[in-house]
Order: sequence, then C-alpha cells, then structure tokens
Amino acid sequence: MHELGIASSLIEIVIETAEANDAEIVRTVTAKIGRLAGVDSNALYFAYDAVKEEYPLLKDSKLIIETVPITGQCEDCGKTDTYEEMFFACSSCGSFSVKLLTGEELTISNIEVD
Amino acid sequence: MAKVNIEKKILTKNEMKAAEVRERLKDVAVLNFVSSPGSGKTTLLENVLAGLKEKYKIAVVEGDQQTTHDADRIKAAGVEAFQVNTGNACHLEAVDVERALDTLGYDLDLLVIENVGNLVCPAEYDLGEDAKVMLISVTEGDDKPIKYPVMTRACEAMIVNKTDLLPYVDFDVEGCIRYAKGVNPDLEIMTVSCRAKEGLDTVTAYIEKKILEKKGK
Ligand SMILES: Nc1nc2c(ncn2[C@@H]2O[C@H](COP(=O)(O)OP(=O)(O)O)[C@@H](O)[C@H]2O)c(=O)[nH]1
Ligand SMILES: [Mg+2]
Ligand SMILES: [Zn+2]
Repeated sequence: MHELGIASSLIEIVIETAEANDAEIVRTVTAKIGRLAGVDSNALYFAYDAVKEEYPLLKDSKLIIETVPITGQCEDCGKTDTYEEMFFACSSCGSFSVKLLTGEELTISNIEVD
Repeated sequence: MAKVNIEKKILTKNEMKAAEVRERLKDVAVLNFVSSPGSGKTTLLENVLAGLKEKYKIAVVEGDQQTTHDADRIKAAGVEAFQVNTGNACHLEAVDVERALDTLGYDLDLLVIENVGNLVCPAEYDLGEDAKVMLISVTEGDDKPIKYPVMTRACEAMIVNKTDLLPYVDFDVEGCIRYAKGVNPDLEIMTVSCRAKEGLDTVTAYIEKKILEKKGK
C-alpha cells in the first residue's frame, strides 16, 4: 500500500539528481531495502513502473532492488549473526539483547544515466 | 553511461508531514495506539483517560474506516475527540493528524491517536508520535508479536489486554512476552484487563511518564 508513496519519493530524488547531472536518460535506479523495512519488493517494482511512465527521463529506466539481510550483534557476548527469521536471539549465548546492524534500510544507492 | 552515487534515505511525503506535526507538538506527548480490530483500544482509552483528564489537557484522534462510534465513546468519557474516517484506507497518515489538530488545537498535554485496526500498514506510517503502543488481546493468539515483527519493532510498548479471559483460551502470556522480546528487546510490556479493571494503573503511569518527559520534567 505505501509502496506507491515510496516509489513517488524515490522518483523525485532520481529526477532531481538526473537534472543536476545534465542526464538525458536514466538507465537504472538502485535502491537498498532491508528485510525489516516493511516494504514489499514486488509492490515497489510495480509502483515504480507505473509512476515512471509520467516522466520521459525515466520511461526506459529499470529499478534494481538490493535486499539487505538482517544482521545483529549481541550486546552481551559480542557475537554477530545473520537472521533469517525475525526473532533475534544470539546464536551463541541466547541473549535477546541484540542490536541490529542492518535490515532496516530504505535508501537510494545510485543511478546510472546517459 | 555514468554512475551517480546518492546514498540517501528515501523519505516519503508522509514522513515529511510527520516531522512537521512533531515539530508543532514539541511539548505534547503523542501516542499512537495500534492493534488488530477489537483488541480493546477504545475501551482502554475510555478507562485510562477518564482519570488522566482531571490533571492534563487531552485530545484523541480516532481512526476507523467508517462511523463516529469511537469518537462518541471517548467524548462520553469526557475527553475531546476527533473522528477520522479513512474510507478505503487501512491506516492513518500524518496529514489526517494535522487535519484533526486544526479542530482540536495544539494546546494539549497529551494527544492520543487510535489507529485503524490492523498490524501491518500502520507500522509504516509515522504520524508524528513519540511512541507507538501495541495492544494484543488474549483471544488473538500469543504469537502475534512474531507474526507482525515490523510492527513489534516499531512499538515502544505492548499491552496484553483481556487477561480476564485467560481461563478460557490457550494464550501463554510468558510465551507471548518471549516472542515480543525476541523481536524487540526494548519493548515495555504491560498486562491488563479492562473488564476486571486490572493493571490499568501501570498504563496510566506509562502515559503520565510520557507526558512529563515531553514537558522536560
Ligand atoms: N472480556 C473482555 N473484553 C474486553 C476487554 N477490553 C475490551 N473488551 C471488549 O472487546 C470489544 C472490542 O473493544 P474495543 O475497545 O471496541 O476494541 P478496539 O477495536 O481495539 O477499539 C468490546 O466488546 C469490549 O467490551 C477486556 O479486558 N476483557
Ligand atoms: Mg476502537
Ligand atoms: Zn551473545
């Protein structure tokens, strides 16, 4: 549902950047999305393709989503883990005092332009 | 082809609006209550705000798809309320809060937002709140905190409600808390029964703490 809002904001940043760099056409847009960001990649691809149609600069561009895994570090023993499930117990000592290092990002990394 | 590095957080229009709301409510505690439909958000607010209203200036923004039932209930408890009907939307947005404040005014100690009942989309929308507070009732199953982890992480506190019904259901309170802490170790947890009027003092104390924090006392 909110993927449309994210696509619109993303595209605003892309256009601003493309214009500042005198680009004629945007080829790719790369975004990093953490698994805990609450964003559905397919919905975002769909929303991006729908919104880009309104902008000649973007109409041939492709969105690339890099999914960022959830990693965290135990604050008790220092062990670093990668989490598949969204339950963050330290694999070494069992502590729940885990500070997440990655997995919550929602960032635009770069664009490729001509 | 040239590559242009950006590395910038994607801030949505809603987040920008939420920042404006937060700025205008600098001295006001703002709590965003979320849950599945029927967990007891309105009932809890009726119970807890009735006492707090003697000491503090409070207003409530009620979000539902349709009807003014909840705002009517809050007003009947003697607290100012503004109903937002979201129509087909499944969550409130910061702009809804701004609109409600046009009517309610900013001269408040506490603004409570009762979000539309669901544990998915409201997690993604910042309303300018200081904290999201999640309610779970014991008839919903004790694994809700790991089934909706994005919400569990977005919240500062979790309230387990309807403990009067524990004898009739297989809800494991300790297990629920374990699940919740595994997703969000900092979560503050309270257990209450609005029906039996148990545990309500802890919720009152939590809200009062939030009010005083915001006033810098
Ligand atoms: N047994 C029991 N019922 C409750 C309790 N709290 C709320 N309810 C009932 O749960 C139903 C839904 O409550 P409501 O406050 O409207 O939920 P909301 O949708 O989260 O606002 C109502 O029938 C309430 O009377 C409780 O502590 N125990
Ligand atoms: Mg309600
Ligand atoms: Zn550890």
